[in-house]
Amino acid sequence: MDSQPEPVSYICGDCGAENTLKPGDVIQCRECGYRILYKKRTRRIVQYEAR
Amino acid sequence: MMDQFPSFHLEDKVSHWEGSIDMPPAQEGPAGPVQVTVGGNWDLILNLKSEFEISSCAWALGFARDLWRVVLPLESSNIVSFFVFLQLLVKMLLSFPIFHCLGEIPAARWLFSCWDSIFLAGFGLIAFRCVREDQSSVVLTLYYLHNGSPRVGFRIAGREYLLPVGLVLKALIETTDYEISVSLSCCFIEKYRKDKGAVRAPLMRERARTILDDIEFRTRNQCLEHIGKLFRPALSKFDTESDTFVGEAVLRDYILVHLNNNHEKFNLLIFMLQKLFALVDQNGAPDNVDALQNMEVLLIGHIMTIYIKEKLEEWLLKGKRQITDEMNKKAKDFEFRNLLLINKIISYNGRGVGRSIESMIRSGRLATLSGLNLLERQGFTIHAERLNYLRFISHFRSVHRGSSFAKMRSTTVRKLLPESWGFLCPVHTPDGTPCGLLNHMTSPCRVSSFYDINGQLKDFLKIRMSILAVLIALGMTPLQPRLEHTGPPEVLHVLLDGCVVGFVASAKVEKAVMHLRSLKVASSSGIPDDLEVGFVPSSEGGAYPGLYLATSPSRLIRPVRNISCTPDRKANIEFIGPFEQAFMEISCPDGGNGGRREFFPETHEEIHPTGMLSIVANLTPWSDHNQSPRNMYQCQMAKQTMGFSGQALQFRADVKTYHLQTPQSPIVRTASYNKFCLDEFPVGTNAIVAVLAYSGYDMEDAMILNKSAVERGLFRGHIYQTETIDLANKKDTTEKVLKIFSRGLDASKSIIDSDGLPFVGQTIHPNEPKYCTYNALSSSSSTSKLKGSESVTVDYVAIDGSSSKKYIQKVNIRSRRVRNPMIGDKFSSRHGQKGVCSQLWPDIDMPFSSVTGMRPDLIINPHAFPSRMTIGMLLESIAAKGGSLHGQFVDATPFSSSTREKGSEKSSEKRSMIDEIGPMLTSRGFNYHGVEVLYSGVLGTEMKCEIFMGPVYYQRLRHMVSDKFQVRSTGTVDQITRQPIGGRKRGGGIRFGEMERDSILAHGAAYLLHDRLHSSSDYHIADVCSNCGSLLTATVVGPRKRMTKDIKRNLPPPPRLANNIICRSCKSSKGMETVAMPYVFRYLAAELAAMNVKLDLHLSNKIGT
Repeated sequence: MDSQPEPVSYICGDCGAENTLKPGDVIQCRECGYRILYKKRTRRIVQYEAR
Repeated sequence: MMDQFPSFHLEDKVSHWEGSIDMPPAQEGPAGPVQVTVGGNWDLILNLKSEFEISSCAWALGFARDLWRVVLPLESSNIVSFFVFLQLLVKMLLSFPIFHCLGEIPAARWLFSCWDSIFLAGFGLIAFRCVREDQSSVVLTLYYLHNGSPRVGFRIAGREYLLPVGLVLKALIETTDYEISVSLSCCFIEKYRKDKGAVRAPLMRERARTILDDIEFRTRNQCLEHIGKLFRPALSKFDTESDTFVGEAVLRDYILVHLNNNHEKFNLLIFMLQKLFALVDQNGAPDNVDALQNMEVLLIGHIMTIYIKEKLEEWLLKGKRQITDEMNKKAKDFEFRNLLLINKIISYNGRGVGRSIESMIRSGRLATLSGLNLLERQGFTIHAERLNYLRFISHFRSVHRGSSFAKMRSTTVRKLLPESWGFLCPVHTPDGTPCGLLNHMTSPCRVSSFYDINGQLKDFLKIRMSILAVLIALGMTPLQPRLEHTGPPEVLHVLLDGCVVGFVASAKVEKAVMHLRSLKVASSSGIPDDLEVGFVPSSEGGAYPGLYLATSPSRLIRPVRNISCTPDRKANIEFIGPFEQAFMEISCPDGGNGGRREFFPETHEEIHPTGMLSIVANLTPWSDHNQSPRNMYQCQMAKQTMGFSGQALQFRADVKTYHLQTPQSPIVRTASYNKFCLDEFPVGTNAIVAVLAYSGYDMEDAMILNKSAVERGLFRGHIYQTETIDLANKKDTTEKVLKIFSRGLDASKSIIDSDGLPFVGQTIHPNEPKYCTYNALSSSSSTSKLKGSESVTVDYVAIDGSSSKKYIQKVNIRSRRVRNPMIGDKFSSRHGQKGVCSQLWPDIDMPFSSVTGMRPDLIINPHAFPSRMTIGMLLESIAAKGGSLHGQFVDATPFSSSTREKGSEKSSEKRSMIDEIGPMLTSRGFNYHGVEVLYSGVLGTEMKCEIFMGPVYYQRLRHMVSDKFQVRSTGTVDQITRQPIGGRKRGGGIRFGEMERDSILAHGAAYLLHDRLHSSSDYHIADVCSNCGSLLTATVVGPRKRMTKDIKRNLPPPPRLANNIICRSCKSSKGMETVAMPYVFRYLAAELAAMNVKLDLHLSNKIGT
């Protein structure tokens, strides 16, 4: 297991609030308590084939 | 909280189940329980893990009210997986006795022991499907026997029992032989013997006598007692009751169950007997059981109701047995009031009712012992695929005849009969196995239900009473309690929902029918608008006359315009059913009168000719100009098209969806396209199509796509696939978290995020890690790699915290795969013209138009037209060209010439379609006939002939090479046979089977055969002992191991020494030979040896010895 994992941001499936979770955090929206969270699109550069 | 769960009461048997469909949209998380009230006292909460949800779109929701589909998402998370219930056509119409002829009743039919002395050599029977208020049904059959005494047949738990009809008649009410005899023979009247429709059976009285002589009992009590005695073993639930009580229970539960009154049952039985005799004497024609006229739709709400009823009954009986067992076992400390104890005992009962319903929805199979009096046991549900909107909607409009007919050899059930006109679409049925069995309702067709037009629950009792009142006012003589002594043609019997309510004089009946119809049309008359007024007039050898009224739910109904009763053309839409339709005069405004005689003027009129087509068939432009099978193909292909499957694609988690990135709205469209708002869910693109004359005739159904057009986005598509990964151990109930998503130390940080899941938006290539899990028990982490040969892009990742609170255990990962058009992909126009892309031709080499300089997007073969005769496609091309030049959509509704008003009829007949569209083209400087002068793109020279070119709406079908290609050189082999494996997913080969072998053999290509079946397959060199002929006894002695240093130096293995191999049974190396053979042969020898059979090989160098 990763020793120092960086937190990951998620978007709540209900209210749309942004949540940042670390491993071991409760998977629940902090605003509304909804239990399904969507992962945010990565900030890294992604490359697609445009042909 | 409870009131939003579906609840229904078994006590009042009208299924409130259907009301429950109107639930608020499904919420996330575990589904609500179903509350069931049993007898008003017990409240059982069944934990239905699923919740019933109406599909998300409003249109289907509108249907959901009418059609009783229950749609069910499978998992608690937002993976959407629907199952749809197919509607089944039931064989028999409720409330109408159906007569059909049997050659001979099969001897294997189980007879009740007391009566098996009678040989059943009948040739006619009347079947009557009786439906209780809760929609469970019992079929009652009257068999005609040659001795004149019919038998009443009905099924108890799947077994058929037969009783003499006299016994049943006498057991029903207190009656006399005289009364029965008179009631039966009254339909024969000497005076009317020669008249049309009269019953010409002087034998009636003799038959009545045989019926009565058949039984030796006199009084009602004796009959009841006898029936009770006979049926006590068959009905296990009566232990202490008297025989009479059991007899009454049989009459109540199995004989004409839709009626509650014994007098009514008696009257109906007499009516059925009269019909049976009339038809046996060939005074009437037998009814066609396959015709839609005699059919109803089996709705899922009704199946569910009776299924739940039976499952609940089973469950309660089991629970009762367990409690009594427990009471007997430990009588001392058993306390009935101890709810905890009772609960514990009942909990042994195993699978609850909710589970069995869930499994019924999943598998579509009814797991019942009694069979619920349904013909079908399986095939009740299908998966509602959301490939595109048309496919999705077609699931809900489909009507299946029953899966048992699919296996039948005879094709009579599949035939398209005129009775289904207007109710089932003649075009929209698949070809192949389900042809004619899986039909689709026409677009205006509906199913009658428990709800009236305003969405209020119908009060059937009230409706019946008001109909009765109207009938009596119209001159019907009610018969209470006895049947009157007369019959057709003087009077006609009136049946209301399968109950003989009276009779009307023949002279008055037509007027009465007219009046009833006008009341149907009029609002607030108390007569429901979907009342079926089946008036069968007296005829010469036709259907048995009578006035059959039906108010029941689950009949098919469709609107027509009533032109006889109301002068104003506004409120005159009447709903008619298939039964009455056969006897109605409905004109279609196609110019002709359909062979109608002058003295039978039409009373009704079709609203629009396209009303005979289903929604999908309605979308084909100018389908009346196409050859009909092409329209059928289009219905198939429209449902396989990539398009917009849903509006909220980014929030959906379908297992697999196809999505077209650049759809367009068709220029040429039918009226239905706008009516059903299909611009919300487009399925194709307007492509500029050139018909390649003068060359390329050999390209069959291939087509050429313009490469630049494709690069600009033509037919671009994607496949979205969602995978649910749940690491929770389902079997482990300790709720200990074992496996979680987490990135291991060895996992590459560029691909896996720190939560163990991939980055959203990132591309994963084959064999790269997709996600990473951590096992807490062994404290080791593992990565899962992407399988397949295609790279995917991660489109969306959702984590679900509903199962485990603290750790990520359940995720949905949606991946996206690019599907740009390429060689081998399938496309089709809307006229059943499909083709495969054979080239992506460069734009600069494409021919170009002299007028506009345009290059076609798509080139097709002119040979696609002559034999297929899809004139609609040619019309579409010209019309779309005109429409696009003028910036307007073109209406291509079929049968438009049949709907024009009479004033403009003359002008329209003169002007053909071309004469309307041609000037549109010439006004903008184009050729009148839609052809264009083209220049060769390669040579720059003018083409010898003009090319037909214009926009045609093309669809991209979901069959794509990228999902289908299969290729293999060397690879994995089967463990046992050492032959190459099969299957595209596993990298297997394509089987070179028997037929391929035969053809190579016939060509005499022995070397090729040897190469395919041996060298390239399971080539093997075996050691065979020529002394004992054994294939299996060879063993290696001495060192034949490869040295590790040899392996390191990459040296070949040491040569096999002949001395090293000995035969185990001969104990010598002498006579050991090496033989090349297929490995399966050796495997066969081993298998045979296991069966104690020795395979002996005789080795020789000579051929043929």
